[in-house]
Amino acid sequence: MKISKKVVLIGHFGVGKSSLIRRFVENTFSDDYKVTIGVHIFKKSVAIPEEGKDVSLVIWDLEGNDDIRDTRTSYLLGTSAYIYVFDVTRPATYNTIGSDIEYLKQHSDKTPIRIVGNKEDLLTKEQIKDLNGEIEPLIDFFTSAKTGNKVDELFSKLAMELI
Amino acid sequence: MLETYKKQHAKAIIQYIVVDFNGQILESDAILFGNSKEENIVDVSPFFETVIHLLESQDKEYFFNCIHLNLNNKSITADIALKTFNKEKYPLITITDLTSHYKHYQTTAQVRNESVINSEILELKNSYLREKEEFKNTFIANFSHELRDPITGIITFSDILKNTQLDDQQKNYLQILKSSSSFLKKMIDDILDISKIEVGKLQLVLKPFDIRELLKDINASYAIRAKEKGLEYFTSIDEKLPLIVGGDAMRLRQVLTNLLDNAIKFTEKGSVTFNVSLNQVRAQKASVHFEIIDTGIGIAPEKLESIFENFTQVNNPLSFKGSGLGLAIVKYLVELTRSKISVESEVDKGSTFSTNINFRVDSNQKLPTKEEVKIKTIKSDKKYNILLVEDSEITQLSVLKILARKGQFFLDIVSNADEVIPRIENSEFDLVLMDIKLQDQWGDEVAKKIRQLPEREHKRVPIIALTAKVFSEDLKKYKKAGINDVVKKPFDETTLINTISKYLK
Repeated sequence: MKISKKVVLIGHFGVGKSSLIRRFVENTFSDDYKVTIGVHIFKKSVAIPEEGKDVSLVIWDLEGNDDIRDTRTSYLLGTSAYIYVFDVTRPATYNTIGSDIEYLKQHSDKTPIRIVGNKEDLLTKEQIKDLNGEIEPLIDFFTSAKTGNKVDELFSKLAMELI
Repeated sequence: MLETYKKQHAKAIIQYIVVDFNGQILESDAILFGNSKEENIVDVSPFFETVIHLLESQDKEYFFNCIHLNLNNKSITADIALKTFNKEKYPLITITDLTSHYKHYQTTAQVRNESVINSEILELKNSYLREKEEFKNTFIANFSHELRDPITGIITFSDILKNTQLDDQQKNYLQILKSSSSFLKKMIDDILDISKIEVGKLQLVLKPFDIRELLKDINASYAIRAKEKGLEYFTSIDEKLPLIVGGDAMRLRQVLTNLLDNAIKFTEKGSVTFNVSLNQVRAQKASVHFEIIDTGIGIAPEKLESIFENFTQVNNPLSFKGSGLGLAIVKYLVELTRSKISVESEVDKGSTFSTNINFRVDSNQKLPTKEEVKIKTIKSDKKYNILLVEDSEITQLSVLKILARKGQFFLDIVSNADEVIPRIENSEFDLVLMDIKLQDQWGDEVAKKIRQLPEREHKRVPIIALTAKVFSEDLKKYKKAGINDVVKKPFDETTLINTISKYLK
């Protein structure tokens, strides 16, 4: 049985949303920053052997904004899950995390939201621990699109939750 | 603006597609992608997979701007509109190819985002450096403060030891002890000054002073020091110098003594010359030229620029003692007077440091009256009760020894701030000596409590602070807390006794 789910990656620009998707879909990474405008759409099937099912994730890579309220609302229609991505090295990308999450919940309060701190390879374990204590709400994953750390786990766990 | 839009849409390539409510293509152009009527729109791009549910709505119109699609193996950026009608009419999808328009937008966004990210990263780096610098300065300031109690102990007990029966060898050792502690004190003062300079807390305190008296005093001291080293000492003080000028006498002395110290330190034979001349008096300002010339080892031309930097010793640091901060402090102090310090030097010939400093000249300026500066003599027939609030055992012992030698004081000591008020209420003290950095409380807070006591004779007791924290904002705070005077740590016997004497009846 094949199930299709729309997953939206949202967050400030330059946090590595496109890189996370590329790592998950193509298992590639580039250090060059190429800005995303509008939406890029990717698709990848995730097998859930325990359930005997395949989940087809249609991943929307949204253009990053200083303020996520500027995101076109049509992009959010029919979303099954959000992945809110921030850059662990740039406070400007996580300073408004609380109000951003509230905004997404106002939009559709039952849609799951995963909070992801990307570029974890640039911090020490101690710094990550401090950051985790500093940010409210709690962060679900610290990922690195560069090394691939926790990227598959992020999407696979989400796929399981969506079936 | 309108023309731009028109151009975009004039060139736009639009594909119209009619689909059924399940997304099956019923009719379509083949401008962007070809199709067979059997094809479902969801097979064209994953985008349609996520919007297919919208086809079930009625009389709605949805717009999706700037969607990247891969059609017929060609990447395009398009605006997509999806319009539904009533149940009798099939939905219409339009795909408008605006690739070239969005390409321009992409370029602008790339430049803008990169610039924002770079400035964020720069700000983060700066903030990290600022925190590091602040930490360093706080560390230096705290560390230097901690050294002051033991130095007070060394200075006090050296003085006490001097007045005991000593043989020649012991006197010699004592002299070494005294000069070492003076050197250590100078080093700590330099480090503290630099940490104040780096946080912008070092400021001039402008007051009228007798400039000729100050120069005479400096000359007397350095003539002896030069002679001790076998150097000739020449000096020339312009007789036209005003008697009283407005400026910071302490910092002027610091500038001149730092330069003279260096001149003597780096000269093994020959002379040191100290000249002071009046350039001009104009608009109530006297411009005074200071010049210090030595015949010492000199400075190589390539090193001249760096001599005013912190921790710089252009000559072999193993041969010459010092923190390497003296000239950095001199430069900063001179610049605070809106002047500049200049240097000319030749290796093995010597150096000349010179500066022009402006002082305020006003016929109404007066020196403090004799009464103000006069030290009151302690009545020889009276005994005074002094309360010392101090948690450092070294300072407790130092004060005890200094006062005991006078034979006119009863000293009571408390090391805990909580004991101060009950002790004052139950005794009659003539004066309180108050450490500021107590373990459990700040001394100025304790002083405030004393000033709030109900009994007049208790609340009016003179309070003298013993502290190394003497930034101008600290002094204001002490005054506000009701503290009468401050003795800076490390202190010597004369300073402590003279300050106490001012407040004893």
